[in-house]
Amino acid sequence: MKRGHVETFVPPPPQPQPQLNQSSSCEGKMMEDNNNNMDELLAVLGYKVRSSEMAEVAQKLEQLEMVLSNDDIGSSTNVLNDTVHYNPSDLSSWVETMLSELNNPDLDPTQDRSDYDLRAIPGLSAFQIKQEQEVEEESNKRIRLGVGSWSDPGTELTRSVVLVDSQETGVRLVHALVACAEAIQGENLSLADALVKRVGTLAATQAGAMGKVATYFAQGLARRIYHTTETTVNSTVVPAMEEVLQMHFYESCPYLKFAHFTANQAILEAVTTARGVHVIDLGLNQGMQWPALMQALAVRPGGPPFFRLTGIVPTQTDNSGSVQELGWKLAQFAQAIGVEFEFKSLAVESLSDLEPEMFETRPESETVILNSVFELHRVLSKSGSIEKLLTTVKAIKPSIVTVVEQEANHNGIVFLDRFNEALHYYSSLFDSLEDSYSLLSQDRVMSEVYLGRQILNVVAAEGSDRVERHETFTQWKGRLGSAGFDPVPLGSSAFKQASMLLSLFAGGDGYRVEENDGCLMLGWQTRPLITTSAWKLAGAAVSRR
Amino acid sequence: MSEKRIISIFKKGNKKRQRVKQVAKFCINDHHDILVEILRRLDGPSLCSAACVCRLWSAVARNDSIWEELCFRQVAPRPSLSLRSVVSALGGYRCLYFVCIRPVLARLPKLLWSRDQLQLSLSLYCVHYYERLYVGAWLSDAPPSSLMFLRKPVNVV
Repeated sequence: MKRGHVETFVPPPPQPQPQLNQSSSCEGKMMEDNNNNMDELLAVLGYKVRSSEMAEVAQKLEQLEMVLSNDDIGSSTNVLNDTVHYNPSDLSSWVETMLSELNNPDLDPTQDRSDYDLRAIPGLSAFQIKQEQEVEEESNKRIRLGVGSWSDPGTELTRSVVLVDSQETGVRLVHALVACAEAIQGENLSLADALVKRVGTLAATQAGAMGKVATYFAQGLARRIYHTTETTVNSTVVPAMEEVLQMHFYESCPYLKFAHFTANQAILEAVTTARGVHVIDLGLNQGMQWPALMQALAVRPGGPPFFRLTGIVPTQTDNSGSVQELGWKLAQFAQAIGVEFEFKSLAVESLSDLEPEMFETRPESETVILNSVFELHRVLSKSGSIEKLLTTVKAIKPSIVTVVEQEANHNGIVFLDRFNEALHYYSSLFDSLEDSYSLLSQDRVMSEVYLGRQILNVVAAEGSDRVERHETFTQWKGRLGSAGFDPVPLGSSAFKQASMLLSLFAGGDGYRVEENDGCLMLGWQTRPLITTSAWKLAGAAVSRR
Repeated sequence: MSEKRIISIFKKGNKKRQRVKQVAKFCINDHHDILVEILRRLDGPSLCSAACVCRLWSAVARNDSIWEELCFRQVAPRPSLSLRSVVSALGGYRCLYFVCIRPVLARLPKLLWSRDQLQLSLSLYCVHYYERLYVGAWLSDAPPSSLMFLRKPVNVV
């Protein structure tokens, strides 16, 4: 009568709810609690269980489960509803209370149900999730990150090993990955080596998104163990390949489209009456963002402004003349729709090399806008670069700065934290790719490769090679705030457009748009994945010129 | 019957024949502008059927103003006239309807069309136009198709 998969128990929420949701998944992220006695996995969920008590707690949970499944749901739920708990995050005492209540249903509930608070975990967004719903949803999901099964015999882990029957390969896969990362963190390379091979075999047997994610992570871990490096993991080998990959990623998922359309809307709102618009794009790529903006400017009441685009490209891609061609294509497009257009490209090694003079802004006749889609985080790889870049940005006095970044903290100092964050983040991403059944398989594969390269960079690279240094909106807010920028809330137009875009995508019920503190977050299920935000110079009025 | 009676019946018959002849002189196919006005009031599927009636009607149905009406019927307020030149440059309203508006309506039949929804459709249309013409010389296998997600799964092989 034991169920096949790992289960965790959700404590009854403050409102009276019919039954205890015994669903099988929860995020298996590990965060180092300040209090080292507490089990880290459970701490992520807000449950405080001492590592030493894990075995006991597990036993009691099993008992509880048996009692509940043996009983009539009706009779026990009344008891459960009325049971009042202090501090349900202290799992051990909670289970005690539950068991005693169920065994002695006559006891009067004397304690107050305290609001359990799922601690805001740095790295998770400010999503207000209804936890039981989340768990309910996730119980049906392919990716299951479970709790508590450390079944590796040879480990030198100091916490007590709690064996839980977990037949899900996915769960074992995740645990093996995390164990391997831990081993690397602890410089135990022989163990890590063994584990990474195990992960490889497990991943091969696991179909679906989880298997693919695990493969990439295993590859990253292997690189880390064996110190294989390419010259840069963010390899300069084939820049054109990078563009192809990104193009496929653009086509197949809504993330980049969301980024572009919401940023465009923010820009539009800032230039409603400008006679000249100068957009500086920190990452030009294929320029897919700009046709839509030009069209919107073309039909603006009052006629189109003069549109000037300065695109920044990395030095490696500048050789082939493809950038000039791109500019030419954009110019043709602009001519077709009747917008005066000027194009310039700047090739720099790194964004921090930019100087204000390079842009040749004409402040008296144009409104300057800065746009950065997934570019700012790369600058964090060298210390001091971001400050220099932001100083440069301030010097060109943009009316608005649109920033789109991944919503994850992959820039923590501790490798293990980064690893766990990344595992969680990319699992969600890959899962969203999996669900869009209308994808051409080639598109999906290319998108996965594109994301896989990011994974490799996060996991295996270090120092200035590690350019995928994603940070959360809160962190960026801090950085930009201290550099002298104030947030500009994105309007409801952007939100409506984003909602419509996402509802058009197959699998669209998995995507969510949320407005959060003036920025828009696109997420999959309950996990926010990318954030669009807009900023202006502190003290400047939002010049809707 | 009396003679007068017979003659009056005969005259009546003549008049009827004459009347019928006069009515038959009008043919809708001679008046394309009226045809356009009528077609403008049709909904999508009916319009597409009408365009299949005969060559003449197919040619008349290519009149972009018919499709413009179809695209913007539910949009309030009506977009400005400057949009017309832009959309024509990008391929016309008929194309816009088939590429963007119809799939959107198929996916979201209850959508309330306002400025934002229209803006999104136009953005998607721009992306489609841009990448069809300008991007993808190097994506040799298949032309880029950012709007693939709008198509029905059955069309995606």
